[in-house]
Amino acid sequence: MSVFTDDVINFTSVLKMAYNFLSGREYLKKQKFRERKKLISVVLPFSDLSFAAGAVPVFPIRMESFNINQYLVALNSATSILGWGLTTKLLGFIKQFDALKIFDTILDEVLKSINVKYNEMYDLGVENGISSDFCYGIKGLYGMHVSKGKNVDANMNFAIRCSAFNKYYESLRKLVPRQIWVDIPSRNIGNALELLTENITNAISDLEDITGNHVADNSLNKQFRIGNQVKRYYKTIIYEISAEDFYPCNPATFAEILSLLGISFQDYNSNAQRYLENIANLVKEMRERIRKGIGMDVSKMPRILLTPVFGGWEPETQEFLYEQGARTLYADWEILGLLEEIPVSKGTNPVEEYARYLLNAATEGIGCDNNTLTDSYQRIAKKMNVDGIIFNQLFGCHSISNCYPMLREKVRKKLDIPITSIIFNKIGENVEQIKTRLGAYMEIVKPT
Amino acid sequence: MDAIELLSDYADYLREKKDQGKKIIGFMGHDNIPEELLDAAGFIPLRMIFAGNDDLMHASNDYLPPSTCSFAQSCIGLFSLKPSQYHFLNLIDHFLVSNHCVSDICTSEIITKYFKIPRLNFYISYTQDPEALKYFKLELLDLKQQLEKLIGREIKKQDIIESIRKYNLFKKKLSDINDLDISGVDKLKIFQKAILYGPVILPELEDFIQANNPNHAQNSKDSVDIFFTGCSIFIGDYLINLIEESGGDIKYFDTWVGDAYFSQVFEEEEITSNDDPLDFFVQRFENNKNGDHTVPYYFENKVTQIKEIIKEHQEKKGKKLRVINHIIKFCDHINIFQSFLKKELQEEGIQVLNLERDYSRANRGQLSTRVEAFMEMM
Ligand code: SF4
Ligand code: SF4
Repeated sequence: MSVFTDDVINFTSVLKMAYNFLSGREYLKKQKFRERKKLISVVLPFSDLSFAAGAVPVFPIRMESFNINQYLVALNSATSILGWGLTTKLLGFIKQFDALKIFDTILDEVLKSINVKYNEMYDLGVENGISSDFCYGIKGLYGMHVSKGKNVDANMNFAIRCSAFNKYYESLRKLVPRQIWVDIPSRNIGNALELLTENITNAISDLEDITGNHVADNSLNKQFRIGNQVKRYYKTIIYEISAEDFYPCNPATFAEILSLLGISFQDYNSNAQRYLENIANLVKEMRERIRKGIGMDVSKMPRILLTPVFGGWEPETQEFLYEQGARTLYADWEILGLLEEIPVSKGTNPVEEYARYLLNAATEGIGCDNNTLTDSYQRIAKKMNVDGIIFNQLFGCHSISNCYPMLREKVRKKLDIPITSIIFNKIGENVEQIKTRLGAYMEIVKPT
Repeated sequence: MDAIELLSDYADYLREKKDQGKKIIGFMGHDNIPEELLDAAGFIPLRMIFAGNDDLMHASNDYLPPSTCSFAQSCIGLFSLKPSQYHFLNLIDHFLVSNHCVSDICTSEIITKYFKIPRLNFYISYTQDPEALKYFKLELLDLKQQLEKLIGREIKKQDIIESIRKYNLFKKKLSDINDLDISGVDKLKIFQKAILYGPVILPELEDFIQANNPNHAQNSKDSVDIFFTGCSIFIGDYLINLIEESGGDIKYFDTWVGDAYFSQVFEEEEITSNDDPLDFFVQRFENNKNGDHTVPYYFENKVTQIKEIIKEHQEKKGKKLRVINHIIKFCDHINIFQSFLKKELQEEGIQVLNLERDYSRANRGQLSTRVEAFMEMM
């Protein structure tokens, strides 16, 4: 069942983002062969350096072919000819004749096709030698590189605290021989910042070598400026719009938008400027709808933070929570400190500022241990003022989602909101159990 | 000497040392920890190198999910249940949190937090490039300061050099033992004991070498020579006996309770060539190319190393070495490469058994069947 209301149609920005996600293959082909750009595989939101080097960062699943609804194709052409304003009006008009309700299910379809592809990639990862004991993310990502790794010119690897992830990066050498490494120090001690700055400088040299472009401070600052604006809009959605009593759409749609943002934030759909325009339009559209009273009164629906989901989660969870009268919110990148802005003012050294940003995320957001990490979860849950937390425990995750017992203890002591956990291994695998658990959980989440 | 006896003696030894005013620093046993620095500061380094069982693993589930490596689970279980033969763990004064892998971090953190043992930190870079080496030095300096704060005085350069010398000699002796023509079981027992006690048992090692000189070779010609890689065999684990009972004889312990521990020995000039003895540790970290912690060349180096050793063994002994890759369930570092390792080595005609297991009793029968089948295949 689709939970999406017919108001999705007016979120042209979301649909455009969805289109850009699904049509990645064609776009990337054009970039690679016509524009002679270099493709850099990125995972996690670490695409800034690639953009600044004039390369094209790509979250590898986007090289796959997806079935794209014809409506999305038409929408894409319409916006490029008519612009956003006219397209939105036109859509409202066409909507009246949509007897088949095709539009209503579009976003749902988009996310489903991404999920199906994720599962396919997971299977491919396992078939090609990754033990099923690893987390969903690693199996899927390995599969993505088995499938399309040959198309990329290099992998951008950021060594972080998760040893499985660092080893996964190493395992990719067989599929993508060229690797660019940024080893992020575990702790901010001594001149660790200086060392990371040097690491980033080396990574930039590698990118320059691959692309043949010189990466000037200006290019970095330009990219950081775009990134900062994107992050600001992202935070507006997380902190302001998600806290409204009136949502610009059904809360299930809202959750889908957040999940689409979460996935697409990793590579800005390979085009940072376009992504910025989309997210800016998204916020504008959301505000406008709220102002006009188009959407849904959600004041009685508790706000539940579902996290972490970046390594994979059961998408049906948000649908079920909606049925149970709750709104689902996602904020992984904010929790991990990756929505912090990078200073670009005059006189700053962009490489050093980027190093500071990464070091801060590694030491204060993700943290070098679960104590720091659980503090981050707690801090953001408090800042978002959520009514409950559902912790997604990924089977095989030894780094981020294994902190649940510690988090539960802290939340109970300090936040006094209900918290529970669900186990996730593969999309579609554990749905009934999740529902049973969440059914019980929702009994104790008081309506606001 | 069986594990119970070893642990009981060790407990007595620690108690005696505590009575003499010594302090103990525990840590998860892996490479790259500069135990010489702990020693130079007057501490007894205590490596957690103990095998687990069902109870120990289950006891950890209050703190970490069951999909955590069985060794890490068991380390938590030891602190949570404190079985009688492990009461000496109560004597630990500080616990070092490190990041050999992320389970090392999480487990050590839990041990310090929930079992109220004051924490020390020592984090290691994943790469070995020049900046990573400089970061390693930063961590060394920081650890030195943490230790100095505890003892209330500076750790003298000369004391560090002396400790390095002491451990170097100790590792050389272990390396000599490794060259003896004795059974794998006997070798492992002495390795485990030595790594637990440290250089204090140097005289015992010398006696052992004397008693087992090449003229006393006792190796059976019929056994299957094994190259043992992957995760270590810890104290109290039945695996080594199981391999031996199935007709295998481990000739190389390519694990850090084994070669990875004692392979890095240095000449006197190398030890004293650095103005700052901490640079010695940096150099050792840089040389540790086959250690499973590092990226991105670990796997490549490992395959090359295994091939070379197998070739050399064949030339010297006229016998083929077979590979057992020991994978403790949910061990990230070893698990991720298991199928690739098998494929690469088999392409060279080397037989490989990926032996994945946890510490549950129920596992034993299946392990035994797999090892026996592997031996019979020969
Ligand atoms: S943190 Fe967890 S989910 Fe992410 S890569 Fe590591 S094991 Fe997988
Ligand atoms: S996961 Fe592997 S490397 Fe880490 S503690 Fe367990 S056995 Fe050791």
